[in-house]
Amino acid sequence: MKKIFQIALGILAAIGGFVDIGDLVFNVQAGAKFGYELLWVVVVGVVGIIVYSEMCGRVAAVSKRPVFDAIRERLGFGVGLGALIASEIVNLMTLAAEVGGVALVLQLLSGLPYRVLILVGIAGLAVAIWVAPFDWIERIFGYGGLALLVFAVGAVKLHPDWGSVSHGFVPHVSSSDKLVYAYFAVGLLGAAMTPYEVYFYSSGAVEEGWTPKDIGLNRANSMIGYGLGGFLSFALMITAGALFLPLGIEPELIGTVALGAQVPLGAIGLLLALVGILFAVGGAAIDTCFSGAYNLAQFFGWEWGKYRRPSGAPRFTLAWLALLGLALLVIMSGIDPVLLTEYAVIFSVVALPLTYIPILLVANDRSYMGRYVNGRLANALGLFYLVVIGLVALSAIPLMILTNQGQG
Amino acid sequence: MSSPEELDLGLGLLDHQLVDSEGRRCGNVDDLELEGVREGSPRVVAILVGPPVWRGRGRLGRLAAWLAPGQTVRIPWEEVEAIDSAVHLKRTSQELRLGRGDDRARRWVDWIPGS
Repeated sequence: MKKIFQIALGILAAIGGFVDIGDLVFNVQAGAKFGYELLWVVVVGVVGIIVYSEMCGRVAAVSKRPVFDAIRERLGFGVGLGALIASEIVNLMTLAAEVGGVALVLQLLSGLPYRVLILVGIAGLAVAIWVAPFDWIERIFGYGGLALLVFAVGAVKLHPDWGSVSHGFVPHVSSSDKLVYAYFAVGLLGAAMTPYEVYFYSSGAVEEGWTPKDIGLNRANSMIGYGLGGFLSFALMITAGALFLPLGIEPELIGTVALGAQVPLGAIGLLLALVGILFAVGGAAIDTCFSGAYNLAQFFGWEWGKYRRPSGAPRFTLAWLALLGLALLVIMSGIDPVLLTEYAVIFSVVALPLTYIPILLVANDRSYMGRYVNGRLANALGLFYLVVIGLVALSAIPLMILTNQGQG
Repeated sequence: MSSPEELDLGLGLLDHQLVDSEGRRCGNVDDLELEGVREGSPRVVAILVGPPVWRGRGRLGRLAAWLAPGQTVRIPWEEVEAIDSAVHLKRTSQELRLGRGDDRARRWVDWIPGS
């Protein structure tokens, strides 16, 4: 019974934890531009993150090794350091974008000036990280993010044409602007498979002291949690497709995203949407902040972990504080968080292979994994996704330039 | 490891986490000191840790070595207690002079209330 309860808690946290500002921006913009036509890409992305997070969780449970440990071992110091630098840049961009998102939502809720709310947001996040234990952070933000389920209700209430929705789940290429379609497909895959998710997931598994006994928990968490997170993505895209596409609205503001719940459900819909976005984006800010510190500590062999007191892992503590400070500087410069999100997602796509190849190699190494080594299904899917990731990584930046970031 | 006699130095030892006798993480295996390579009976005599060692680890490693402060710490092979996914040492990091960056950083962190 306790086990089931634990699994349920983990899943709830994962649902809220999956959706971040990248998913919000790309799902809603893709829906506004192409209706339901890109729903199938979300399915591809969600299965991809399930495959690789399950692998990392298993590696962490069996060998106690988080992802960046494996990256340095398999890529060596030189190339591994390149991967570290790339991941830190992407993490910082994502963190700054999430903090900007938090401030924008706080602004819609309070009406206070944006820059003041950036400071409030950063201070709130820093205090939450400093005070709350690891599992509390995961739960508070995960459960708060569940308010996003309001978009599922909104999607139904908007009475979309369910025939075209189901057609959207069948892989196909759009008849209209193919390049812009491809750009959004790449962005949706990048947003679903963002590398910080696996850095955080695997380090979290080590933080919580998983052992081979937790392999079932790991599988349930990744499959059901990310699966239902994908469900939220569908809801966002369907809402945008039913509401914004017919009106020709291109949502470039976080507030426009929340309209998707306000129009069908009124003020309560708007409030739930904003609260959901606040917790989902705030939680993702903490995840990216920790990921940056985890990666640095693991690459250089420093003591790390939230389960230690801050003074028990001092360089790790200084690292996350420094990342929050840098993110503050970036977002205070006045850069548009939505634009920054798009850059962060597209650049993270380029860093994906450097993260996922070492995971696949270590998950296949019998000397660590023993009988928990990858099975045929995990390897077949792992290899399939390496090909997908490779294609996506090669095409991401050219597509961003050719389509002027999806503007066509 | 699968069999105690067999260890791939490149994958099973190099770049792995060092853990001291108190369970504290205290650096990574940055390089290895070998003996008897020319004689055809190579043997690991020490683990090398610290920024100067990175110089031999690729172009980015050379740059990092140039940027990072710190000295090389040599851990004689006799100090190794066990090897699994991490390399466990027989003594504390203070005794082995490892993890001193964390000691320096602690002075800053201790300054914050609730640390």
